[in-house]
Amino acid sequence: MAEKIGVYFDMQNIGGGLDAEALAAQTREKWGELVSVVRVCPVLACSVEEIKADISAQGLDGVLLCGASPRAETDVYRLPAQVEFVNLREQCALSYKNPDGSLPDFSGGAPETLAIMARDYVNMGVVKLQKSQVPDSVAISGIRRILVIGGGIAGLTAATEAAATGYEVVLVEKSGQLGGAAVNIPVSSPLGPHWTDKQSVDLNAKISAVTSNAKIAVHLNTQMETLSGQPGEFKATISTPQGPVGVDVGAVILATGWKALDDKYLAPMGLGKLSQVMSAAEFGKMLLAGNVSARRIAFVLDTTLAEDVAREAVEGAADEAASEPETPATEGGAEKFVKEDLESIRHLAYSNAVNSVGMLRLANSVCEQTNDATQAFVLYKNMTVPGILERFYKKMQDRLGIMMTKADVTAIREAGGHLVVECKNTLLGMDFDLDVDLVVLPTGMVPTTAKDAVVRFDYRQGPDFPDLRLFDGFADSNYICFPYETRRTGVYAAGCVRQPMTMDACEEDARGAVLKAMQCIESASHGVAVHPRSGDASYPVFNFVRCTQCKRCTEECPFGALDDDEKGTPKPNPARCRRCGTCFGACPERVISFANYNIDQIGSMIREVAVPKDFKKEGPRILILACENDAYPALDMAGLRGRAWNPFVRIIPVRCLGSVNAIWVSDAMSKGFDGVMLLGCKYGDDYQCHFVKGSEICAKRKENIAETLNRLGVQPERVDQLEVAIDEYDKVPDLIDGFVDRIMDMGPNPFKGM
Amino acid sequence: MAQYTLKPDTSFTRELQEAGGENLKRCYQCATCAVACPFAPANAPYPRKEMVWASWGLKDKLMRDADLWLCHNCGNCSDLCPRGARPADTMAAARNMIYKELTEPSIVGKWMSKASGLPFLFFIPAVLWLVVWAIRASYKGHWFPRAADGRIVFGEIFYGDYTIDPIFMITFFGACFILYRGVRKLWSMFKPEGELLVIGPKKSWLCHLVAVLMDEVVTHRKFDDCEDGPITGKGAANRKFGHMVLVYSFAILAFVTAVVAAGHWGGKIIPAIEIHTPMPLTFPVKILANIGALLMLCGLAALTWRRLAQDRANHASGFYDWYLLSIIWLVAVTGILSQCFRLTDALKPAFVTYYFHLVFVWMLFAYLPWSKLGHFVYRTAALVYVRMYGRS
Repeated sequence: MAEKIGVYFDMQNIGGGLDAEALAAQTREKWGELVSVVRVCPVLACSVEEIKADISAQGLDGVLLCGASPRAETDVYRLPAQVEFVNLREQCALSYKNPDGSLPDFSGGAPETLAIMARDYVNMGVVKLQKSQVPDSVAISGIRRILVIGGGIAGLTAATEAAATGYEVVLVEKSGQLGGAAVNIPVSSPLGPHWTDKQSVDLNAKISAVTSNAKIAVHLNTQMETLSGQPGEFKATISTPQGPVGVDVGAVILATGWKALDDKYLAPMGLGKLSQVMSAAEFGKMLLAGNVSARRIAFVLDTTLAEDVAREAVEGAADEAASEPETPATEGGAEKFVKEDLESIRHLAYSNAVNSVGMLRLANSVCEQTNDATQAFVLYKNMTVPGILERFYKKMQDRLGIMMTKADVTAIREAGGHLVVECKNTLLGMDFDLDVDLVVLPTGMVPTTAKDAVVRFDYRQGPDFPDLRLFDGFADSNYICFPYETRRTGVYAAGCVRQPMTMDACEEDARGAVLKAMQCIESASHGVAVHPRSGDASYPVFNFVRCTQCKRCTEECPFGALDDDEKGTPKPNPARCRRCGTCFGACPERVISFANYNIDQIGSMIREVAVPKDFKKEGPRILILACENDAYPALDMAGLRGRAWNPFVRIIPVRCLGSVNAIWVSDAMSKGFDGVMLLGCKYGDDYQCHFVKGSEICAKRKENIAETLNRLGVQPERVDQLEVAIDEYDKVPDLIDGFVDRIMDMGPNPFKGM
Repeated sequence: MAQYTLKPDTSFTRELQEAGGENLKRCYQCATCAVACPFAPANAPYPRKEMVWASWGLKDKLMRDADLWLCHNCGNCSDLCPRGARPADTMAAARNMIYKELTEPSIVGKWMSKASGLPFLFFIPAVLWLVVWAIRASYKGHWFPRAADGRIVFGEIFYGDYTIDPIFMITFFGACFILYRGVRKLWSMFKPEGELLVIGPKKSWLCHLVAVLMDEVVTHRKFDDCEDGPITGKGAANRKFGHMVLVYSFAILAFVTAVVAAGHWGGKIIPAIEIHTPMPLTFPVKILANIGALLMLCGLAALTWRRLAQDRANHASGFYDWYLLSIIWLVAVTGILSQCFRLTDALKPAFVTYYFHLVFVWMLFAYLPWSKLGHFVYRTAALVYVRMYGRS
């Protein structure tokens, strides 16, 4: 609870003809003793020392800065008190237009509507601070030891790098030797500059760097048994040949790699049926052994043939399943975890880039060995060469014996001792047959997480990563900016378990994941969030007295942060938490809160808006709860670019739409708001949510809200959720205006003035 | 379903690379070149398709391709190629392969394809003219005889009626015959399998030939189109000027030769038109001849400068290019020098230079079907062909 608040107005950043002095006077008058200091500063950024002096002299515990958006210059105001911002620039003055849509004229001071809006925002800011506290610390000691699961190229690199940075490492490898898939690839695509030539992997050097390092403990023939606890103080149990061993670690790097796709998927292309058809991996081994005598080799990257057969099979199975009665559910319905096998033909397509690079390397090697007496035909649908490996592609392309074309490979058949590859739609401007002695097919890379629950979490939400089907089993979570993140905080995926990648990328990936793991341990030891609200010290606090053990929070947490006991009482793990607030959005009893973000706080802000009784004369009031990760910046950008929207809306940023509790909508409706707009990010398969599930969960809750509103006799259309991406600043004003128009057509909220 | 079976030939690709298309494998088929080319027809434009044929060693496809000759080698495509694959050089290399492979006897083509064949090429006329010299010298009793009036007269040694004229006539008509066969072969290669149907009015090949010569030789209009291609941002010396001046000088010198031949042989029947060589400097035909020689030097200088100033990253000049430029340089320089030596009465240098002049002129004409100069005939023939079938 901030009890002594200083309010500062930034003249430089408040435009629109707003009278800052009048705003200050209004604030002083309304809030009295709560606001012990109210100042109007010509340039706020120059008054930082003055504010600091006020804090120490007056004992302020909250500072409210009214001017630019909180996104604009937060760094300037690192003050020894709670700081809140009132966005009077981007989302008030700059985005203002008259209610009739005309452009405002500020020459005679701010229009009345704008002044009212500014006053509302300042009051909302004051009450927000009033209901906000400095969170208690949940810092833990943070064990500076990293568990690396998997001893392939990514795992070895991760272990070496983590040890080099001073962390202890426990490396767990399932098989009896280190190296993983690299054991069969002594020479790989380029691993470093100049990125033009294949390179020796030098696996033995990498392995001995790990085994000879005193900071790294290697466990061969070992798998994960369980992982419990939270980042900074995980408890891992590993099943070594000598029996289970408990290890305390701060963070986990998942580098369990991949398995080759079952040969059956490529049978339509002759794999396993014709002796001269083989997979790239097999061909690589043959080449190593010097057993390749074929002089005409087709490297076929177009796998449409196999994909078509697989698709037909799936469709056939679906028809069959539809016609047959459903098998009765297993008896007892005991919650025994069964891993769903996610291996599918799609892994072939995902592996296209790796296969493109790999086949170029193999084709080049065989041409090199025979001084271009071999003809290597590379038949691709998509030649995908990631990033700087373009340089490698160029070099390979220059090889005399390599001939490439985009082609639809329509058949591979045997004809008199050799194979015939039928090609259509080629770059050569004609359909043709190729006589070859050997056909090499790509290798599908199936992540180990598609087949097994590798980490075996001892979490309330189960031993596996959630929603892996969305990523066909890859341990990914769709974060473009945070590639190593999984849906389990403190567990970072690196290498081919995350995405099929070339060996150089595996090494880079491992380094990135190590950095994240270290950041995670350090954050836990400071008691702050690691991602994406890095440095946030708040965390959910439970008022267990009122908890009904409904389990909604433990089920809905996108990150499995909450465990529970037998009765269902939630057990928070702050270090697992990403501070999105999805738990308190879910809680029907409203027992969960953050010190500086809670139900009452936002509810009070909503109630602080002055809602006029006369809908016709003084206009409607519409509440926007805007996701602060996408929608809020989009609104800021719209304002900065002079895009205006209806002046009767009031915007409140929320951490995530997942944190929107139904009570806020009721608060708004009973206060007399005519509509509530939930403005969040896109959801679905290509979700953009920083917290994975937020807007999706919100959309589901909205249906329940609509039901409630219907019962109360309020049109459910008054509450709507709209999607906006961060770069859609040009569309967001129209979204708002469109919603306001719909509300205007509906007329006033029937509860208004009650 | 069985369809056309491709027979890629890596050795052909290697030959193309050696004949000037060394970067052809770099092509990744973006078709920037086909867009950049001001001549490429909208239907199946070049040189994109030629690049992939070259890369795959599809000799058949490439040799039968009339589009090779639509290209006038302006180099826009090479300037714009994002991969430095030099499509223009590859097209030129493919044409070089045609000079080499199309024309019999093919041994000459082999000699002509690289510098190591040069000694053979030089050896044949060098011996030929030395034998002529030796025979005449033994007859005259002196290797460097003067005329009765003390002047230097090349005819004393290289007597027109019995040496130069018959040898060059055999050479000239021999080359014509070889070229005729080459053109017939080229046309038959262009002809696609099955029947070609031409819709609309047809003109005889002679009409097309006249039109082609108008465009290509008289006006050099096609070169303007080349220069008017897309802006490549690369400075390129004007090609039209040098080429046109050189072609005109050839035309003048051909005309002069024809007049002198007519005067010489016709004079034996109608004495009134008789021309005696050497002609005095003020004689109109001589004046024209010297103007032709000077024009030739100008054209050569312009074209040589252009090649030297080209951006090495996008354009390479190969043996075929330098052979042709050098041989014309040598013809022009030895021709002018031998006249100078003759007029300044430097007896021995005059004869020696004149001997070399004859050697180089013979090389120029005798090897024309296998050299880059063959484009004069093959391109004309190809352009007539495509006009007859409406691809132009």
